Amino acid sequence: MSVALCTYQGEAWLPELLESLAAQELLPDELVVQDDASTDGTVALLEAFAASAPFPVRLVVNPERVGSTPNFERALARVEGRYVALADQDDIWYPHKLARLVGMLEDDPILTLAFSDADLVDERGRPTGRRLWSGRGIRHHLVAHEIVPCALFARRSLSTGCTMVARRRAVEAALPFPTSLDDPQAPMRHDRWLSLVAAAVGTVRAVPEPLLAFRSHPEQQTGVLEPAQLRSRLAAAAVAALAGDDPARAVEHEVRAQQVAEAAHRADLWGDFEEADELRRVARHHEVRADLGDTIPERTRRVWGQVADGGYDRSAMGVASAAADLARALRPARRTAP
Amino acid sequence: MSILHRTRVLAVTDSLEVGGAERVAVDIVNSLDRAQFEPSFCATRCDGPLRDMLLPDVEVTITGRRATWDVAGMVRFAHWVRSHEIDLLHTHGRGTMKFVALCRRLGLLDTPHLFHDHYGRLHLDRQATAGMRSALRTGVDAYLGVDSRLCEWARTNVGLPADRVHLARSGVDLSRFDHVEPVDLRKEFDLDGVEVVLVMVANYRQQKDHPTVFRALAELPIDLRRRIAVVTIGSTTSEPGFFERCWAMATELGVTDQIRVAGARADALQLLAGADGGLLASKNETGPLVVLEYMASSLPFVVTDTGEVTRAVRDLPIGFTPEPRDPVEMAEAMAALLELGPDERRAMGRRGRAVAEEVFDQRRVTRQIEEVYHHLLTTQRGAPARAATSATGNPPADR
Repeated sequence: MSVALCTYQGEAWLPELLESLAAQELLPDELVVQDDASTDGTVALLEAFAASAPFPVRLVVNPERVGSTPNFERALARVEGRYVALADQDDIWYPHKLARLVGMLEDDPILTLAFSDADLVDERGRPTGRRLWSGRGIRHHLVAHEIVPCALFARRSLSTGCTMVARRRAVEAALPFPTSLDDPQAPMRHDRWLSLVAAAVGTVRAVPEPLLAFRSHPEQQTGVLEPAQLRSRLAAAAVAALAGDDPARAVEHEVRAQQVAEAAHRADLWGDFEEADELRRVARHHEVRADLGDTIPERTRRVWGQVADGGYDRSAMGVASAAADLARALRPARRTAP
Repeated sequence: MSILHRTRVLAVTDSLEVGGAERVAVDIVNSLDRAQFEPSFCATRCDGPLRDMLLPDVEVTITGRRATWDVAGMVRFAHWVRSHEIDLLHTHGRGTMKFVALCRRLGLLDTPHLFHDHYGRLHLDRQATAGMRSALRTGVDAYLGVDSRLCEWARTNVGLPADRVHLARSGVDLSRFDHVEPVDLRKEFDLDGVEVVLVMVANYRQQKDHPTVFRALAELPIDLRRRIAVVTIGSTTSEPGFFERCWAMATELGVTDQIRVAGARADALQLLAGADGGLLASKNETGPLVVLEYMASSLPFVVTDTGEVTRAVRDLPIGFTPEPRDPVEMAEAMAALLELGPDERRAMGRRGRAVAEEVFDQRRVTRQIEEVYHHLLTTQRGAPARAATSATGNPPADR
């Protein structure tokens, strides 16, 4: 059982994480650390921890910064365990986290990945009384889908790396990461990609129990929004969607289509044709939304075709997207090429 | 003096076509203790070849319903149940359960209802929709899951009380496997010189995951691969296009010489009797019955670690249980079976048969189900109207 930890300028938070790793009821067989060329005291902290840790610590420091997702790709390529847990530098794991998630994978061999909810804490580690899933507006999706279908991961980011444990074959299927993940127009983080592939070549289970304290602070990569911020973002997205043709949005859909098509290809290689076909439908949905066509009848037909085929997510977000696309389709102006 | 009569149990399925749940229903009905129970069988949609496997004393009725909300079908079904004074309904499959639960909720029936859940797609879906929760909570008196994960689902996702949820592993009618004349597989499938011939009984369906078998063959070193062959038994048309995609994959991997496709066969037991081992690569199973058939046929096996039967035998020296969807582990298991040699393989198969006799004999499993019947009929909630008004006042199982 391996823990893959990626670090960058994390000296402020790292000690608490490392302490919580060493206090796990089920200790990992190795801690694989990939530091992304930190210039603060992160590496020194890790080296000191390695000297006294109750498990081997395998540290590699990148000569220059590569960014979060490629850094995790490097770390995952080095793990040797049958199960792989991902760690972020700023969280605090509860003592039973690994035992609970690994036990779940041991008990049910069909599972390729399990991920949990988390308690939200502030910068100083004080509980906020909120949970990660609620903070990201995904709780209703995950409570409804204890087994999360791959198409849902293709449509939304639902899992956070530090809450998950994956079976090794899911990691193998996800590596190497496709270059499209790093496309600045529509980046896909390592944890969403890993969950997407794990669901495409296996079964992913969402566990509604909080198994760690997730720190919310300004420097972190995966932000959690306050309810007012979340509402404001959704409103802004709705206004932007209704505002008319946006070349950037078309490119975003093109990139998303490539990413999802790549996941479908991985599923095909593993012989998971059912999941591959499902993902191709989602990729096709993004392709259609990237280019609705030039005339009103053509655009309307394409949007309606996607509604009829179930291309839009069956949620408020999906209904809003369909309505926005239909509104755009009915606008008389020709669509400008991106 | 009390009037003695046996408890009338009606087994209810969608059809009598060959399927896992239907086969279980037939085996249970055939092995119920006739001194205590008088079984009959209802296929709510259509007849099928399994009717011939029912013992002659089992009355069969076909309701011919077309959907869950087939009101005429419900009325016909309820009339049959009432006119035959059925004491207990034992449904198999979620569609059938919903149909019967609806009859109960519409007031057409008040017969105690035991639901036997065989749902096999736990790898894709564990939702308990509002409709499902409502049907199970108000239209079912006891839940019988063939897998502990199903029982957990019933307790936690559906919210059934623990005392209404029971685990019932599948069983096997061992007499079907006695005195079976083996087919010479090497001759039949042109496999002369192959050291180990494995049989995989599984229709070509996504859930059965033939691609993992083909990838496992490709993982084997060429000298080992040449010593092994896989004969697949089962329909190639169950899911459109799946077989063709599997075969394209096998061709691309260069393993077609090691695979023979027998298709759907009526002589599956004879083919099993002629094999050196059984193989199953399912992504998920809740039984699976076919493992019991391998054990009953005295075959060592390579079967993915999924389902209640496999869970029960995974630590016994009677076969290998690699993780589902893992071709590397499956290849290692195949190689291990190959390296055992013929004597040890046969010994392994004999141990498997002994386990089948000790643990999974259908008569033994049916006795456990009879205890659930008894429990249901003696609890206040499940007290059947006929029993409550009988001359003795005793519950049926006690009469």
